[in-house]
Amino acid sequence: MITLTHLLVVSALLFTIGLYAVLVKKNAILILVGIEFMINAAILNLVAFGRYDGAGYGGQIFALFAIVLAAAAVAVALAIILNVYKHYNSIDPDDINDLKD
Amino acid sequence: MEHLNHIPVIVATLLVLLAPFCAFLLAASLGERNKSGLLATIAILISLCAAIFVFSQVWQGETIHRSIRWFCIGANEFRVGLILNNLSAVMLLLVSAIALPVHIYSMLYMKGDPGIHRYWMYLSLFCFAMLGLVVADGLLLMYMGWELVGFASYLLIGFWFTKDTAIKANKKAFLINRIGDLGFLIGLALIYTQFQTFDLIALFGEQGLVKHAEPTPHLTYAGIAFFLGAMAKSAQFPLHIWLPDAMEGPTAVSSLIHAATMVAAGVFMLVRISPLFDAQVLLWIAAVGAFTAFMAATIALTQQDIKKVLAFSTISQLGFMMAAIGIGQYGVAIFHLVTHAFFKCLLFLAAGAVIHEMSHVKEKYQLDFDPQHMGYMGGLRKYMPWTFRLTIVAALALAGLPLTAGYLSKDAILIYAFEWSEWQQGIWKIVPLSLLISSGLTAFYIARLVFKVFYGKLRLNRQFRRSFHLHEAPKGMLYPMAFLAMGSLFLLYSFNPLVFEDSWLLKGFEKTASLQRMNIYHTVVPAAVNGVGIVVIFIAWRWYARRKYPLRRLKGWLYQFSEAQWYANRLYEMGVVKPLLGFSRSLYAFDRMVIDGMVDAGGALVRSLSQAGRWLDTYVVDALVNGLGYLAFWLGGQLRGPRKGRVQYYMLSMFVVLLMVLLLGLKLV
Amino acid sequence: MTMNLVLFYLLAATAIGSALLIVVMQQLVRSLFLFFLTLFAMAGLYVFALADFVAVTQVIVYVGGVLVLMLFAFMLSNKTLLNDLQQGTKGVFTTLPKGQAMLVAALFLVVFMAMVNQIAVNPPVWIAEARANQTVIQAPDHTIHHLGVNLMTRYVLPFEVISVFLMMTLMGAAHLARKENKTP
Repeated sequence: MITLTHLLVVSALLFTIGLYAVLVKKNAILILVGIEFMINAAILNLVAFGRYDGAGYGGQIFALFAIVLAAAAVAVALAIILNVYKHYNSIDPDDINDLKD
Repeated sequence: MEHLNHIPVIVATLLVLLAPFCAFLLAASLGERNKSGLLATIAILISLCAAIFVFSQVWQGETIHRSIRWFCIGANEFRVGLILNNLSAVMLLLVSAIALPVHIYSMLYMKGDPGIHRYWMYLSLFCFAMLGLVVADGLLLMYMGWELVGFASYLLIGFWFTKDTAIKANKKAFLINRIGDLGFLIGLALIYTQFQTFDLIALFGEQGLVKHAEPTPHLTYAGIAFFLGAMAKSAQFPLHIWLPDAMEGPTAVSSLIHAATMVAAGVFMLVRISPLFDAQVLLWIAAVGAFTAFMAATIALTQQDIKKVLAFSTISQLGFMMAAIGIGQYGVAIFHLVTHAFFKCLLFLAAGAVIHEMSHVKEKYQLDFDPQHMGYMGGLRKYMPWTFRLTIVAALALAGLPLTAGYLSKDAILIYAFEWSEWQQGIWKIVPLSLLISSGLTAFYIARLVFKVFYGKLRLNRQFRRSFHLHEAPKGMLYPMAFLAMGSLFLLYSFNPLVFEDSWLLKGFEKTASLQRMNIYHTVVPAAVNGVGIVVIFIAWRWYARRKYPLRRLKGWLYQFSEAQWYANRLYEMGVVKPLLGFSRSLYAFDRMVIDGMVDAGGALVRSLSQAGRWLDTYVVDALVNGLGYLAFWLGGQLRGPRKGRVQYYMLSMFVVLLMVLLLGLKLV
Repeated sequence: MTMNLVLFYLLAATAIGSALLIVVMQQLVRSLFLFFLTLFAMAGLYVFALADFVAVTQVIVYVGGVLVLMLFAFMLSNKTLLNDLQQGTKGVFTTLPKGQAMLVAALFLVVFMAMVNQIAVNPPVWIAEARANQTVIQAPDHTIHHLGVNLMTRYVLPFEVISVFLMMTLMGAAHLARKENKTP
């Protein structure tokens, strides 16, 4: 029996991995991938809990919305990354430190 | 006990001593200006006159003893003073009487020598020391004189100090004498611990402590120790080896010191302390003396150097004196000492005259030969008649032929020796027998010397194919020799030329043991001795004067043994010198390797400790300090993140905050 | 151990494993292709939660859209960007922030596990009610039907908002990625 717990554990793991990738990676695109992981984990969470909402199907509906939003976020992020590269000639987030004190 | 009538004698004695001492001091201060020996000679003349006066007052009179306090150590008092008895008076007179002719002779002999000012200084020092020795009233004072005499001898043997052989000789003499001094010192110590005094009268006088002391082994040891001292000073076997080498000194020195006076000091000292010896020690003394006499006589047979012959002759005659002491006849020993002093000194002076002439020839004609070697002499009778005649007198005295002083003293020893041997065990007959044989050998070697030097043809001519002309010795040399010659004849000692007991000299000394007068000895022995002597002289005449030398083989075993002085020097070198040098070398190596090694190891230890300390300081202490610095640096680096403007750092901090909130929330829940 | 469980674990392992690999791997292109795998595995997992439409939407939109977009953007950019992107990270294992990030991630995991545990032990009220009222989604249900109905009746507002939002992002992205006129 696939219980709620199973899915939640998987989602937690995935979220952690995504978090790690966001904090550690020196490549902007991989940071993006990390963000995607986190979003995916959230979607999995939504879907897992959504099983118990047979009346309104709220979980699944919002999962759909989340997917769409993730796609939009990726599109915009990639555009930003391209612009950043044009300006700094590097996609290492450490090199983009003009905001420093 | 101040006897007013003794004051002149005391003063005279002091004059005898102080005259040469003042001469010494003045010579030392004058330095090089003291070229003629007038100062020293006049001083000795004064000594002689004073000594004659002292002798006249003291001989056969009561013993005069004066002393004053010198120093104190705790409860022990040490005194210094004079003792004047028969023995002192005779010795005073003898020493100054021999020293005066030698001084006069030296003025001519040493003329032109660059170091002559030193010579007079040393000679005066020696005279003072010897004269002081004979009147010293205590053993300690006598020891001081003893040492000083040895020192003066050292200075005079090495007078020509640029010669390597002279330096070796004087070192050897001093070292051997030192061994004897050790014996003297041990004897002193033993006497003092036993009796707590050094005073001669107190110890050896009529009521002397020694006479009344119980015979303990310490006294025997003391006797042996003193005899050791006398052995070194009077050149008895085995401590005789320094005397032949001492001939490196000027001949006048040899005559005074090493023939007449200093070497006699040993005999004198033994007579002074004669009550100390017990029968054992006396036997030993007699044996050593007899053996030495024999040995030295055999060596003198083959020596080629004229002075060496006389040196060994001296050793041999000293052996006679020692034997006389050994048999208990101290008076006879002193008698022989006196007569020997005269004729031996004369022999040396004559030899000196001959050597002087040969050296003149050597310098004048620029030749190369040893002026002391008898092989170059011969036929000097023609050139030096008076020297020859005076030498004959002395040679006859040495050989002991009648009408000479030597006859009286030597025959006295021989006769008493034979009488004494009657009272001993059979084996002790060897003492008089060896003395007898030595007498025969003495006659032979001295005849050999006379014939080789004065008879035949001058071998120098044949050697260098020229005809040399030698001169007679100057009058200044001959007169002193003549004076000594007079002392070698019987007249000085006794009106009876044949019987020695009539000698006034002997009457001044007590006979220790009145041996039964065995008439047989008194007639047979002199006859035998003199008969042998005459035969032997005839043989020598044939061999050396007539050049009819029968023995072809000059290099036979016995000849070699004798000429090499019985290999005494070789034995000393191998047995004593080499081991000692080896020992000192090993000690030096030990010091260098072990002791220095330990010191170096200690230094290395300290060095390594300091290096360990440095390592500790660098790697531990500094590491600690530096570590703290690095820690601060790292911590700062960590907290520096926000300043760098890194996006991921912002995100990190954001998530941290979120985490905090979540954790707190969970806790609360 | 039923087939269900085995499949589930397989899918879960694939998803987590490929996610880990993406994080560890140096080269970007391989990471992106691994992302493919992760997304497909996720889709499989959605099926297990009885959200079949979501799973298909994931495949169409995420894989077919997002991932392809990323790949295209990556490959169609100029050479220098490609090279720089190819370089990837350098010395990941030596930079210090990695430790801190690890720590934070681990702590987050701990928090999540705690929450999961709590939910497992003490489920929320509405889940219990749902179970009681039999409104839990079952496998034979027509999800599409219900989804469509709910989308047009209950969630029509978020739907419209999302549409507008999507249009905004697209316009913005297009503007951002326009080609600049080179000034002479």
